[in-house]
Amino acid sequence: MGALGRGFGTLVSVLIFPFAMRAAEAPPSYEEHIKPILREHCLKCHGEDEQKADLNLSTFVTLSKGGSGGAAVIPGRPSTSLMFKAITAEDDSERMPPKKPPIPAAQISLIKAWIEAGTLERSGGKSLVSARDTQFKPVAMKRAEGPAPTPEHWPLITQPVPVNQPPVIALAASPVAPIYAAAALNAVRIVSFTDGETLGVLPFPEGQPNVIRFSQDGSVLLVAGGEPVKYGMAVLYDVRSGKRLTSVGDESDAVLAADLSPNQKVVALGGSGKNVKLISTESGKTLFKLGKHTDWITAVAFSPDGTKLATGDRAGGLHLWETASGQILLTLAEHKGAIRSLAWRADGRLLASAGDDGLLIRWDATDGWPVSNNANAHQPKRPAGYYGKLPAGILDAAFSPSGELLTVGRDKFAKQWNAEGRELRATPCEGLPLHCAFSNDGSSFVVGDAAGEVHLQKSALP
Amino acid sequence: MEEEVKIAKVQRIEGVRGRRLGFLTFWVMLVLAVINFAPTVCPAAALVNGATPEKTDRETPSFRRDVMPVFFRAGCNQGGCHGAARGKDGFMLSLFGYDAPGDYFRLTQEFVGRRVNIAAPEQSLVLLKATGTVPHTGGEVFTVNSPHYQTLLSWIRAGAKDDSASVPEPISIALEPKSIVFDGERKPVSTKVIAKYSDGSERDVTTLALFSSNNPAAAKVDESGAVTPKGRGDTSVFARFNRFTIGAEVIVLPEGKEFVWPNPVPQNAIDQAVYRRLEQLRILPSVACDDATFVRRIFLDLTGSLPTRSEAEGFLADPAPEKRSKLIDQLLSSQGFTDMWTNLWAEWVRIKGGGYAPSATDVKAADAYYEWIREQIASNRPWNEFVADQITASGSNLTHGPSNLFTMLVHDVKVTPKSLASDFSQLFTGVRIQCAECHNHPFDRWTMNDYYGWVSFFTGIRRKQGVEPREFYVFNDLAAPVARHLVDDRPMPATVLGGEHPVPTGGDPRKALADWLTAGENPLFARNFVNRFWAQLMGRGIVEPVDDMRVSNPPTNGPLLDALAKRFVESGFNLRALLKDILESNTYQASAASNPSNAEDTRQFSRAQLRRLRAEVLLDAIVKATDGERGFSYFPKGTSAVQQYPRSPGDTTRLTAGDSFFETFGRTARQSVCACDTKTESTLSQTLHLVAGDTVLNQIRAGRVLERGLGQKVAPEALLEDLFLRTLSRKPTAVENTQLAAIVSSAEGKPELVYQDIFWSLLNSSEFIFNH
Repeated sequence: MGALGRGFGTLVSVLIFPFAMRAAEAPPSYEEHIKPILREHCLKCHGEDEQKADLNLSTFVTLSKGGSGGAAVIPGRPSTSLMFKAITAEDDSERMPPKKPPIPAAQISLIKAWIEAGTLERSGGKSLVSARDTQFKPVAMKRAEGPAPTPEHWPLITQPVPVNQPPVIALAASPVAPIYAAAALNAVRIVSFTDGETLGVLPFPEGQPNVIRFSQDGSVLLVAGGEPVKYGMAVLYDVRSGKRLTSVGDESDAVLAADLSPNQKVVALGGSGKNVKLISTESGKTLFKLGKHTDWITAVAFSPDGTKLATGDRAGGLHLWETASGQILLTLAEHKGAIRSLAWRADGRLLASAGDDGLLIRWDATDGWPVSNNANAHQPKRPAGYYGKLPAGILDAAFSPSGELLTVGRDKFAKQWNAEGRELRATPCEGLPLHCAFSNDGSSFVVGDAAGEVHLQKSALP
Repeated sequence: MEEEVKIAKVQRIEGVRGRRLGFLTFWVMLVLAVINFAPTVCPAAALVNGATPEKTDRETPSFRRDVMPVFFRAGCNQGGCHGAARGKDGFMLSLFGYDAPGDYFRLTQEFVGRRVNIAAPEQSLVLLKATGTVPHTGGEVFTVNSPHYQTLLSWIRAGAKDDSASVPEPISIALEPKSIVFDGERKPVSTKVIAKYSDGSERDVTTLALFSSNNPAAAKVDESGAVTPKGRGDTSVFARFNRFTIGAEVIVLPEGKEFVWPNPVPQNAIDQAVYRRLEQLRILPSVACDDATFVRRIFLDLTGSLPTRSEAEGFLADPAPEKRSKLIDQLLSSQGFTDMWTNLWAEWVRIKGGGYAPSATDVKAADAYYEWIREQIASNRPWNEFVADQITASGSNLTHGPSNLFTMLVHDVKVTPKSLASDFSQLFTGVRIQCAECHNHPFDRWTMNDYYGWVSFFTGIRRKQGVEPREFYVFNDLAAPVARHLVDDRPMPATVLGGEHPVPTGGDPRKALADWLTAGENPLFARNFVNRFWAQLMGRGIVEPVDDMRVSNPPTNGPLLDALAKRFVESGFNLRALLKDILESNTYQASAASNPSNAEDTRQFSRAQLRRLRAEVLLDAIVKATDGERGFSYFPKGTSAVQQYPRSPGDTTRLTAGDSFFETFGRTARQSVCACDTKTESTLSQTLHLVAGDTVLNQIRAGRVLERGLGQKVAPEALLEDLFLRTLSRKPTAVENTQLAAIVSSAEGKPELVYQDIFWSLLNSSEFIFNH
């Protein structure tokens, strides 16, 4: 299939995806499906005769107007729609209708489908979810002159002997050369994609390397971490020489999330302190302290052009900031658990977020619209007779250079997703896969696991 | 085609020797690091074999068997620390360790490499925090040299693995010695906790158990389990390990006092049990109370009402030696007894009636229930049948009284199975099972399995509208899904408390519940009710509070409670037979006056306890003593406070006790099944109410006792005697007589005012307000 075909696929999926589950039947409409439910449960207090909270749900027009609390529904977004939140509240005292049992589950799912499909007024009506084109626009990679940076003549170092093989707590691949960097005990090793040979080891005597990132041009490696509840920082290394360039940040706990801006002038980092700091690599000064998160910072990522920064926390909070001003641009509310990974598509249009709640979401970075949302992306199969929660979180997500996604999760699978958000292939992993990364050409990928192994796989992508 | 290439494990790298000076620093640092890590090369077994009591012969500690107990003992998983519902400072452990898989996940996989670092075990945050090496809100909880540290470290060194196969679970624990008596010696005595496991093995878990004492004034216990006597008295020390709590009795005898047990003659098994305990504690029982005290006490306890003047006089004048037994029999078969004990049961099951009752608690339903209870009490229905009838009741709330157990315990439009479950348990067994909703009961044997199996008895309870608005049919929907376990969402079929298997399916599970509950073999039921009856007669339960029976709240006299329960079962759950036994005992008939050895005793029944009258009894007493009258809203004239219950023209959900007198004197508003809702403490507002409020004076005026006496020109002595007999059921003493007569005769012109003051003083006296 050529680029045209792919593009068509994207367009179609954007239009139908929100109600893909109900694709076989027509989407529900206000007049036909929703009004009877509202009449049964809501219109006594929010109808023609009485409008509690200035809300009248008895006609599509007045419903669309909303009430004193704001819009009642946001087409396409049940989870952020006031009405949907009210009828699904866990707390008896907050739930609508008051002092009554909840609306039956079947009716609730109908309302959900109606909002997701774009709040149609009558069947065959117009969806209020606007069609959008988030098709991947390949961008020419700016390449530095000469060969891509790889380790050259690195010094020999002696590593501490680990008691047990350390888990691969961080992993990154160079965007320009066939090499990747993986966490070791107080060190980072650089390995070739081509033959699996270790090309060099960088000492990180500061402690645990919790984060590894290559700069966009592949010439600088950022390693961030430290010792838990003692100190944390980010260190920049020159990939060619292995030389330590600078160290930024002076935290009281190990850094849990960090990234280097494409122009290499700013490091963003965060951890248990709940603030994201933007620190100049030249002066070492803190440029901005971004304080909006309510829990530990677990993921940060600069957009490919460096103008935006995405930050996620352990409670599911996800914000988009303007790098130059430190001002918040958007709050992307959907996650309910720790955000484990934030990844930008190479063209900067889409941001992927994934986390412990099992959600894999692609956001349109221009307006914060969730273009696709794969729930339970890594839900393990339930063994017969087994009850209880199965860990279903996503631990890492990475975009290929051509816009496809790779994720690893607690179900011990690595999954590849095509540009439309459909699962292409699931590969079982031996250990618990912690991190994953595509090679620079997208032809293969590596998965690092909790047992300390890194596995190389051929990619299923074209 | 897929191709998988395994990359070599991290190992020493042969590379190009560093030429730059900058790297020399790293070189040195890293070599130092190697030296630092050197001990880790030692086989883990070398440390494990350190022969501490908590170690086992296996080389690697098991997560469930060895590691989780450390979190328990060190207090990490307490409610105030990481055991809180949302954890503490970002890290959560299940409270007291009810969720081992969850704890393993959070420890090793939530943030891989942080809390537990298998590559550099000593750098694991869990160890750095616990030893206070890095800032820790909880401070240092153990040291690097402690066996707890070594257990955790060995486990992490071995790879922090989850238990592969099923691990033997503790099935019971024992505390040795079972009882400790300090007689003269004041040296600490050490105790030992032995756990028995499901594979038959035993292990000394003293270093992993938590200890506590019920009465630190008598004896203290330290964290190693050593018991130190502190002062005269008795207590229990407890050891907790895993989900078990076990107690040992501790008695501290007075020092150097001569003690001669006078060998009082017991009336029955009750006295025997009480005396055995008193002799052991070197406490002498008080002498028997006089007739006047007895007649007043038993009337108030059994009928909730003062004896009338003629009843009191008749009893005092009766020369028969068996007159107390006669009075007991007479009162047990009286109308007043039925009224009072119907009132008690109605209070426990929260009967209230409303004029508007969407929750099926209409006045008509309340009356139907009341009438049914009254019939059962009057006919002395065996208690087990009485309770079983209510538990299994279905049908109309208006015509089938006992079905109102499922309306009155709820007082809500919605029936919540969980609250029904906890109310049933508290009411019928004295167990507060609701603690086990979110975690295994920390101070008793109940687990979350017990809780959810118990809730499933009530998940099908429904009420549907009957033919008229006030009528609802109670029924059990047998198709209703059972409750699900909080931790793993497993369906939990209906199972009795402590039961190993669910009750058989088919038919109403409430039948199986009632059969189990009221069976003679079930100690929970008989002990619960005899303790409640005992508390009504003695002012204090053998277990107190009466509705908090648990291992860690043991009876003050276990053999006494057992003897009463045995008697109750053997009598065929005969309420009157059991009460008669108690009333006949010397223990019940003892005086409230103390002797030097029992002045401080409030727990061992060596003397009668002073008890403020219950609110409704006090109000009736004032009315009766004054010949007054006191009406209640929505009740016909002549209804007594004991016969009355909270009624309202509206809904019953938030209905209060309804009368300001009741509210001041702590009559329960029947908002919950908790025995604590009935209050008999004295408060300032009560005193003010009696002194300056309108109740006492209004009743004196309304009753016109003084006017009638003065009108008939009764002699001052006779009138005074009348007032004393009315209020205190006794004649005035000679001293009282002389002094009061002097006051009366000195009054000029208006003797009724003086008499009124005397009457008022009597009604305000402690002797009147208290049962003694």
